Amino acid sequence: MYRIFLVARRDFLAAIRSKPFLIGLVVAPLLFGSGFIALAVNKAKPDIAERRIALLDRTGLAASQVIAAAAEKNSRQMFDKLTGRQLTPRYILDTVPVAAGDPDVQRLALSARVRRHELFAFLEIGRDVLDAPPPPAGTEKIPPSTRVDYYSNAGGIDETRDWLSGPLNDGLRRARLARLGVDPARFTTLLAPASVQSMSLLSRDPRTGEIRAAHKRSEVEIAIPFILMMMLAMMVLMSAGPMLGAVADDKQQRVFEMLLASTSPFELMMGKVAAAVALTLVGSVFYWVAAVFALQSFAMLGLAPWGLLPWFFIYLVADMLVVCSLGIAVGSACASPNDAQHLAMIVMGPTLIPLLLLMPIMQAPQGAFATVFSLLPPFTPLVMIMRQALPGGVPAWQPWAGLTGVLVWTAAVTWAAARIFRIGILVQGKTAKLSEMLQWAIRG
Amino acid sequence: MDAIQLRNVTKTFGGAAAVDDVSLSVPEGAVYGFIGPNGSGKTTTMRMIVNIIYPDRGAISVFGDPPSVRSGIGYLPEERGLYRRMAVRPLLEFHAELRGGRRITAEINSWLERLDLAHCATHRLETLSKGMSQKVQFIAAVVPQPRLLILDEPLTGLDPVSADSIRSAILDLRRRGTTVILSTHDMHAAERMCDSIFMIFRGRKVLDGSLESIQRQFGDDTIRVDAEDGAAVLAALPHVEKVRDHGRIQEVRIARHADPQEVLQALAARTRVSSFAIVKPSLEDIFVRIAGPEAADPLASQSSAAAASAQAAAGARHV
Repeated sequence: MYRIFLVARRDFLAAIRSKPFLIGLVVAPLLFGSGFIALAVNKAKPDIAERRIALLDRTGLAASQVIAAAAEKNSRQMFDKLTGRQLTPRYILDTVPVAAGDPDVQRLALSARVRRHELFAFLEIGRDVLDAPPPPAGTEKIPPSTRVDYYSNAGGIDETRDWLSGPLNDGLRRARLARLGVDPARFTTLLAPASVQSMSLLSRDPRTGEIRAAHKRSEVEIAIPFILMMMLAMMVLMSAGPMLGAVADDKQQRVFEMLLASTSPFELMMGKVAAAVALTLVGSVFYWVAAVFALQSFAMLGLAPWGLLPWFFIYLVADMLVVCSLGIAVGSACASPNDAQHLAMIVMGPTLIPLLLLMPIMQAPQGAFATVFSLLPPFTPLVMIMRQALPGGVPAWQPWAGLTGVLVWTAAVTWAAARIFRIGILVQGKTAKLSEMLQWAIRG
Repeated sequence: MDAIQLRNVTKTFGGAAAVDDVSLSVPEGAVYGFIGPNGSGKTTTMRMIVNIIYPDRGAISVFGDPPSVRSGIGYLPEERGLYRRMAVRPLLEFHAELRGGRRITAEINSWLERLDLAHCATHRLETLSKGMSQKVQFIAAVVPQPRLLILDEPLTGLDPVSADSIRSAILDLRRRGTTVILSTHDMHAAERMCDSIFMIFRGRKVLDGSLESIQRQFGDDTIRVDAEDGAAVLAALPHVEKVRDHGRIQEVRIARHADPQEVLQALAARTRVSSFAIVKPSLEDIFVRIAGPEAADPLASQSSAAAASAQAAAGARHV
């Protein structure tokens, strides 16, 4: 045990004083949060260039109502009410007279205008849109005369289409109401949407018996499960990646053989793993403290998931033991740090796969897929912590069942990794194949 | 008590025997030379003694117990490697604490002074020359003073002054009770420093005993000659099997049972002879006889060699 401590202390002190660790501590959150940062930058400096949309109205009745609805939305949303700063582009809808002859000729001409950037897009309202009953759910083929077609050259997520959806449907409803003889002055009231507010569930205080009121869910609260999962993944990946290369580098520098006269391969490996775990814990505490300060400064400290803190650290340590043991084993079987990079996916896989499957898990966290996935030991730490943090949480037995699996998995991986490490560190000049590593793990 | 005992130890890699049924006893307090060509099994044998790899068959004991990290073995591997970004003193303290379980600053300071490294105690390894790094690694192997010290090519790459200081340090350690295994390709160093020699060839033990007994085993068939046109003339003489030309002098191996007087007479008849001496074969000569390209297969002729060995002085074993 004392030798494990000595190896861990050396590795920990060497790493914590190194520039890569300190830089990584700052850079990693920026990398992992780059999507949020980009969104924030986009929000701070939005694209407010004017967007002109042609409106080809085959009903002959809807265009003016749609244009009026769009103008209302522009005036309602375009500017920040407090600062007066423009937040969204001005959407300008212009009616285009329906040309006689082949409709495709006119569509082609409008398409050419979009390509020349004279227009952003054009809308074609089908002739029978105002009269047609809504199509049954799941209908794939809606006749052109009863639908609205949106033509544009925009790729990816087209926010203009989303923006137009509201005023377009508003306009169509207004046109229908106008045909029924409703006073246009009542349109706004009749068509006013109701705001849907996301609220937490009510609960009863087990001590006092009082009913705890529901509270409005904020965006931060909804983001917490995602943030917890990303934080765990980030901490693991930050340590496991460098670990792989560092072991391969130490092997290339031939530092292990002399150490093995004084310490067993298992002690050496566990010392390295312990150092990595300690480094990660330091990083995690740093981020938690930073998160608490950030929440406090926005008066949102109550949103911090304190109840999940022990689980976070238990899963973090277990995941680190698995990933670092694997990293050390694979690194020891490589001839050089370059070779180690090629095999990094083996080590990173269990951490990356849950990130790729984030959406289906978040959409149905109580579903069979998410439940089974969170009980598979390699994925339990990341997936279970996220499910636990989501509103509704998980049944009480699941985290414990997951933890049991994780502990068994950790013991098995560490044991196999130690066997691979013992042989791998003495093999020079060639990188072992996966089949060889497997043989070393089985036969020792 | 023997410091090391190997009993019928075998280690194979991928079906090939790196060490094949080797038995060996190293008495406590001795300097035991391990010699053999590259790839003969020296390093594998030493790694098994240090417990880095395990034998497939046979048994090893160090001071009567199976080898373990608690055996307190100082080990300097042939492949040099230390943490390059560590400073010298913390690195030595780390190695010392790892093996000895305690900090031993005074002993480390003394070694740094002795090997002229005190001025770079705070320098990182990566800033030191190769020779200096090698001396640091030697110190890492000997602090705290081990009962058993295994040195794989400790003198390779060192300048004569540094090599001499390491040689003297090894002998000092022996005087203070440390048993030393010294693997080397420097046959002169082995002759001068080692109490006994163990030679391994193609995984099998081929020599084991004191230098004198080994030399006796190989007989008085070596003549050292200083003569005009020595090499050319000597090669043509009857009974001469091999001539090693060292420039001014030549070393001649004559046929077993040949009379050196006959060789001298034949030589004197052909050229002027300044000196002619019957000498014991050098370790280098013995090494070449066993492992050189012109050598008869020592493993194939084990039985005849063993018979010769039996007639040699006690303690010498040419297996």
